[in-house]
Amino acid sequence: MKIFTFLVCSLLSIQVLAQSNIQGLVIDDQGQPLPGANVYIQGTFDGASTDLEGKFVIKTDLEGDFKLAIEFLGFQSRFYDLVLPTNSWNETIELKERFNELKAATISAGAFEASDTKKAVVLRPLDIVTTAGASGDISGALQTLPGTSTVGESGKLFVRGGDSEETATYIDGLLVYKPYNSAAPNTATRGRFNPFMFSGTVFSTGGYSAEYGQALSSALVLNTNDMPEQAQLNLGIMSVGGDIAGTALWDRGAVTASLNYLNLGPYLAVVPQNYSWDKPVQTATGAIGIRQKTGKAGMLKFYTNVGESSFVLTQNNSNYEENRLKVDLRNRNAFTNLNYLTPLSDKLILKVGGSYTLDEDRIGLNSDEYREDLSGWHGKVSTIWQVAERVKLRSGIEMFGQEYAQGYLADSLDFQADFTENRQAVYMESDVHLTNRIVARIGGRGEHSQLLDQWTVSPRLSTAYKINEYTQVSAAYGWFYQNPLDDYLIYSTNLKLERADHYILSAQYVKGSRTLRAEAYYKNYDDLVKYDASKPAFQTTYDNSGTGFAYGVDVFWRDKTTIKNGDYWVSYSFLESERDYRDYPGEAVPTFVSKHNFSLVYKHWFSKIRSQVGLTYMYGSPRRYNDLNEDGFNEGRLKAYNSLNMNVSFLYRQNIIFFASATNVLGVKNEFGYTFSNQPNSSGEYTKEAIVPGADRFFFIGCFITFSKNSQLNQLDKINDQ
Amino acid sequence: MKRTLLLVGILFVGITSFAGGPEYEKAMGQALVKFEKCQSAPDFREAANQFERIANVAQGEWLPSYYRAHCFIIMSFIDKVDGETKDTYLDEAEKSITKMLELAPDESEAHTMHAFYYSGRLVVDPGTRGMKFGMLSGQAVGKALKLDPNNPRAQYMQIQNEMGKAQFFGKDITELCQQAKIAHDKFDEYPVVSKIHPTWGKRELQNLSTSCNTESHD
Repeated sequence: MKIFTFLVCSLLSIQVLAQSNIQGLVIDDQGQPLPGANVYIQGTFDGASTDLEGKFVIKTDLEGDFKLAIEFLGFQSRFYDLVLPTNSWNETIELKERFNELKAATISAGAFEASDTKKAVVLRPLDIVTTAGASGDISGALQTLPGTSTVGESGKLFVRGGDSEETATYIDGLLVYKPYNSAAPNTATRGRFNPFMFSGTVFSTGGYSAEYGQALSSALVLNTNDMPEQAQLNLGIMSVGGDIAGTALWDRGAVTASLNYLNLGPYLAVVPQNYSWDKPVQTATGAIGIRQKTGKAGMLKFYTNVGESSFVLTQNNSNYEENRLKVDLRNRNAFTNLNYLTPLSDKLILKVGGSYTLDEDRIGLNSDEYREDLSGWHGKVSTIWQVAERVKLRSGIEMFGQEYAQGYLADSLDFQADFTENRQAVYMESDVHLTNRIVARIGGRGEHSQLLDQWTVSPRLSTAYKINEYTQVSAAYGWFYQNPLDDYLIYSTNLKLERADHYILSAQYVKGSRTLRAEAYYKNYDDLVKYDASKPAFQTTYDNSGTGFAYGVDVFWRDKTTIKNGDYWVSYSFLESERDYRDYPGEAVPTFVSKHNFSLVYKHWFSKIRSQVGLTYMYGSPRRYNDLNEDGFNEGRLKAYNSLNMNVSFLYRQNIIFFASATNVLGVKNEFGYTFSNQPNSSGEYTKEAIVPGADRFFFIGCFITFSKNSQLNQLDKINDQ
Repeated sequence: MKRTLLLVGILFVGITSFAGGPEYEKAMGQALVKFEKCQSAPDFREAANQFERIANVAQGEWLPSYYRAHCFIIMSFIDKVDGETKDTYLDEAEKSITKMLELAPDESEAHTMHAFYYSGRLVVDPGTRGMKFGMLSGQAVGKALKLDPNNPRAQYMQIQNEMGKAQFFGKDITELCQQAKIAHDKFDEYPVVSKIHPTWGKRELQNLSTSCNTESHD
């Protein structure tokens, strides 16, 4: 009994009498005080925050064994054993900065990223669609970035001295065999995919990840939107057609269906054209996208579209009767993409996906008919494994299949050729943060081509060093392989893969919404396909004796701060490139290369009239063409390319937007090259015809309406759809 | 003997289990006194730390998380730092919001704070985030008002959102000012659940109701 009384008494006395004084100083590893740190006795309400000098004092009546916790945002927490009461506790506590991927150095050499989710990116997805002159086309917008050359007669991406075929497009990690619409010879094409499908875009101009193969110059990686937030109906009424899209939601899932019809007929009737259109461009596309969340963090994405397009057009061409070439094009295409992503644990993510592309061209050329059939699929199983806090490992196994056929039907000729290719690939790549300031990416890709019976191994290395909060330097190196063009493989399989080696040095400064980037690169081409005729054909001899190089400097500056409500970016690219490939007699500057490319994009938001005005100026220094009437090869020089483009969008109501755009408002007569007659005329001259755009300017007006339950939404991100 | 054991037991309970008890109310009371006096970002951080300490102990209570989120959201508005840092404040707010909504999914006040959080995200970069977070904020306010149409703080968030939109579209805001005035005048009729439940909003509604007057001076 006595003992119990004693116990009770002593407990009571502690409650009343013992007060402890716990104090200390919290600093970082540089010895700087950390004000605002949370210091507390675990399991109790007692604690304090550090003051401006990093000091804290806790007074407590507690008694017993406890743990003192010290926590601060972005730092590793620390714990101390504490026996209370005490009056002598006084410590200097050093906290280590926690590893933070967002603040650490990042692999950035060669890549331009547009994303909503990541914080420090060069572009937002909205930027792609509101760029004047891009006409809502992804590759059009990317042409305002450095490292690209404007090649008006193509419309495709030409990156750092590479041909357009050297860029591969991926959607959610899966290869798109035909990213562009079919177009008439020497007319600009557009990308096949609506930019609003994507919430993240990585445009890499070199040195890209081992995850991407079959591209000598560039990888365009498009990531589709996640779950839509709300049911809605979108209507677009345009000068060139209309579209309708509806989104419905259910528990953890959503479906979006859209229909799009374009007909340039009425437009061509009003606006004078350089070509004679016998039947206007007509395009019909239907698409369905489904999203379903599974389990705790799994996601199933399905997307499919089918499309049809046609036109009949007559161009001047001295190689055809009466100098007339009538092109009658009919295209049918389909694309399907299925992706499933699920975490297997909190450190391991599994992705399984497959894509299928089908494309069918029927092209009448006067009385002849040319046909091209392509089907391709891609299957991929990949994992992302967070091995340790600072080590991430990506790996995957891939299978590719492709069937391709070309046919030519003329009076005297019924020619057909085809091939089937199967490829298998594995890749593995690791991002290692040696410190917060240094990151290295080491990876490799192995690929086997069944058709060419060849194994290739491509090492890829990339590293970045963060000098301070705002500045980072990086370097990248890698080997890149690509199959020879389909046009050659139908005639010869006795070929090797073409190869390019990239060397990149890059410096980047990002502070607030200002970004400055400069990159220098050198690219070496090897094993390029050469042939001994002017065009690939059946009897032609092919080999891999071609070589080439490209080097240059790309500079990018973006500033959203200096001008209120204004936002601009400037790109400049310097490029030197020569190659000996195809039918070239020796090393020469390819026709798609321009030494200096410059672009300025400006956007201004006028809040009083709720309108955004966009201006884009683009310049490309004179490109080469091969003048058959002169000595030398590719020694002819075109005029420089100039174009000033404009767009205006007006937010009439919360959910109604009016949009207008015009390309080349100054009406500069641009020329993209010359076609020469196959045979010289009686005076020994080859007659030539300038390749000009279909029209000097393109005008567009449209109205976009969104219906949703609470009418909060609009198609602000859709103001430049065409 | 039995009585003594009981006494010992009571003492231990008194030390180890605070949840919901008077110790909790006392700690919250002290934290709220500090919160009321907050002026600067460091003040709010200190208050947030204090609410965090309470939230760590009183695991079943949603109010500490509510106030912790509130502190970080206010910090994102008043601290003169870059957008990236503001987003780290809002990341902290988000953690508390998630915890709070798990504990009190049917609490109108919780959804009001959720809406406030989305507005915080919006303000960091209105140009690119306006549409998405405006919508999300609107949805959260809708939920809050559905749970309790009379909640003056939910009414405030609703009117504030509407006013932002109206001003953007150059629409007349007179009616919204009147709504704010009505909500302000009826503010005191709304019952106060306890000393530690949210009471803010009267001054904010007052400011909204007078914004029409300042607007006409432009």
